[in-house]
Amino acid sequence: MKIAKPETIARVKQAARAGLLLVIVAALTLEATSIIQYIYSQKGIKEEASLRAQSEMEATKLKVINVVDQAETAVRNSMWIASWCLDIPDSMHAVTRRLVKDNPVVIGSCIAMVPGYSKKYPLYAPYTCIEDGKLADKSLAGEQYDYPSQEWFTKPLETKGGYWSEPYFDEGGGNVLMTTYSVPITDRYGKIAAVFTADISLDWLTDLVGSVKVYPSAFSMMFSRSGKIMVGPVDSIVMNKSISEMSSESKDSAVLGPLSRTILAGGTGSMPIELRGKKNYVYYSPVERTGWSMSIVIPDEEIFGNIRKLGLVVKLLQLLGIAMLILILRSVIKSQVEFSQLEESKEKMEHELQIARDIQMSMLPKFFPPFPERHDLDMCADLVSAKEVGGDLYDFYIRDERLFFCIGDVSGKGVPASLVMAVTRSLFRTVSAHEKSPQRIVTAMNESMSDMNENNMFVTFFCGVLDLTTGHLRYCNAGHNGPVILTDHKDFLPVEPNLPLGIIAGMSFKEQETDLHYDDALFLYTDGLTEAENINHELFGEERMLAALSGRRPSQEHLSNMQNAVAGFVGDAGQSDDLTMLFIHYLNDVMPNTSERHLILHNDIQQIPQLAEFVQTIADEKHLDQSQAMGLNLALEEAVTNVIMYAYPEGSDGLVEVEAILKKDALEFILTDSGKPFDPTATPEADTTLGVEDRPVGGLGIYLVRNIMDTVTYRREDGKNILTMIKKI
Amino acid sequence: MEVIISKNNSETIAEFIGRLDTPASPEVAKAVEPLMQDAAGTIILDCTQMSYISSSGLRIFLTLRKASVSNGGRIIIRNISNDIRQVFMMTGFLNLFEIE
Repeated sequence: MKIAKPETIARVKQAARAGLLLVIVAALTLEATSIIQYIYSQKGIKEEASLRAQSEMEATKLKVINVVDQAETAVRNSMWIASWCLDIPDSMHAVTRRLVKDNPVVIGSCIAMVPGYSKKYPLYAPYTCIEDGKLADKSLAGEQYDYPSQEWFTKPLETKGGYWSEPYFDEGGGNVLMTTYSVPITDRYGKIAAVFTADISLDWLTDLVGSVKVYPSAFSMMFSRSGKIMVGPVDSIVMNKSISEMSSESKDSAVLGPLSRTILAGGTGSMPIELRGKKNYVYYSPVERTGWSMSIVIPDEEIFGNIRKLGLVVKLLQLLGIAMLILILRSVIKSQVEFSQLEESKEKMEHELQIARDIQMSMLPKFFPPFPERHDLDMCADLVSAKEVGGDLYDFYIRDERLFFCIGDVSGKGVPASLVMAVTRSLFRTVSAHEKSPQRIVTAMNESMSDMNENNMFVTFFCGVLDLTTGHLRYCNAGHNGPVILTDHKDFLPVEPNLPLGIIAGMSFKEQETDLHYDDALFLYTDGLTEAENINHELFGEERMLAALSGRRPSQEHLSNMQNAVAGFVGDAGQSDDLTMLFIHYLNDVMPNTSERHLILHNDIQQIPQLAEFVQTIADEKHLDQSQAMGLNLALEEAVTNVIMYAYPEGSDGLVEVEAILKKDALEFILTDSGKPFDPTATPEADTTLGVEDRPVGGLGIYLVRNIMDTVTYRREDGKNILTMIKKI
Repeated sequence: MEVIISKNNSETIAEFIGRLDTPASPEVAKAVEPLMQDAAGTIILDCTQMSYISSSGLRIFLTLRKASVSNGGRIIIRNISNDIRQVFMMTGFLNLFEIE
């Protein structure tokens, strides 16, 4: 189990808090949306229910009116003949018979004479009805049935117009609900003579209204003008109860009372009511001409049941969504934690790479000047890896007055290259510890590296051994870029290309040699320099490189110039490859073979001419003019005379050793004697401004030495006086 | 080194021929000793043929000069080479002598 860092834990906590907030916001939004949606849907559904109820009622009403119309039309069409028959009452049965026969909706018809109108029959009411499927002529005028007092007879006489009776059960046959349409008939004088009726069965009304099912559990009702229930959900109340009775008997009378009044008043509309504790909606509308009213009762549950179910489903879906959101957030946070752990391990890796880089860099000489005690060598180097670790290398060290140095470039970059680089550098040190031939060093390294090279990595390598006492350089190249040699000119050091190290075992490498002179320099580099690219993918190239190497100058200046040149060229493009540079500036000015002259003299003043000859030879060799030669001669004579005259006790034999070192731009003379200690540089300076009388005759010799020579130093070593005089030329 | 002394009216002329180096100076010192007797007069040191002078040579010249000064005489150095003039200059001798 990895322990996460505190920052990681904090990040995770923060993410969790943000996630929780997200969940809450999402839940609230979903809830609000669903509430709004519910409200609007409910409104729509309510409107739809109302529309459906009303359209059903309209359709039903149309059907009812159609039947009513048929009956009224049938009666109207027969009115003229009924009127015509007023004078011949016995023919009236023919009229009623025909009406019933010709009109299927009419099941009975009667022409009831106004009492007293006919002289022949004071009460006369011929009637035809259907009995057992056949037409039967009857009379309603009788003792037991007082027709002139019946509603169907009196109302038309009152209103002088058509009248639909209250529905009633046919007393004759079966439980047939009926209603009667009656109109007054006038005679040719305009006097009302009779009432003409048509009975209509209302069986079809029960079926028609009963079949109106807006919703499965909804039901329809039809009320008569007086509020009697003509069609209802329960047969027992049909024609037994009026709407007013029902509402007053009900527990919900407070609600039903106003409703029944509205319905009876012929109103149209809807009203929510509580029935047996359940909410219902009542829609109502009057049926024209008949005085009836229709209403549809729909339980609230029926209307909104679906939307409530839908609401439930939506709620469930929301919960599911929120749950999924939480799961997703959890997994996101989890992956965040994993990512953080990945970051941590990446950091760790980078840290390790940094260590690797430090180790790698510690293999290379990196303190400059590397040999501060030496004045014959001025070196500096720079290695910049394109990545944390690189495949470039350089190395150098001095053994037995020889400078062993190398530069190399491992194929590839990064960690694999850096490992090969480390191996190469170690091999160089190991092999060169016992070899002074670059060719043998390179060959031995190639053998080792070819043997173990399973990844086909190779190293371009240049190895040199510089004899610091003579300036003689032996070198061997293994596929590396040819170094530049900086003398009075700048040229590429001629190199055999050879193959890089690590390619083929048994390769023979060619060694080459040259001589470095005072102030000459070698510039070694890797292809990271010549192949440095600018943003236009142009290469720095050898021309620009040579241009940046100007004149003879300290290696640090050369290096800075080159760094500036390449940085200026590359600009913002960034470093693409490892870049290594190594300057070796040779400053040993001892000229081989002709470097030193020796002369040994006795403490005899007569030896001076030999000294003069010695000095003249050196002056000639250095092509000094006569004046310079004389000055040198004078200084040497004075210094040697001093030793001859004063170093040794009088009469004893002593020697003066003169060593001359011929340098390129200076002559150094070292006088050594074994006489008594004497430091001529400690004597006071002669005052050359004094007048003749005050001027001492002695002291001029040392004065001349110090004036002619540029540097005069004295030291006493091993019982010897050593006087060193340097004259720049 | 050879020194030739001659007299011409009131002037005494010493002619130096060759190198006046240290080995030569004891001889030269001896050779110019007679000049001391003419220290009150004019002594001409002719250096036309003197190719070299060391400090011991300069010392001889200075000794002569001192004698001349104390006797109220004159010393004229004639015809020194440029190289020797350099030595004279270096040592301040240009100010001590009349140089022709």
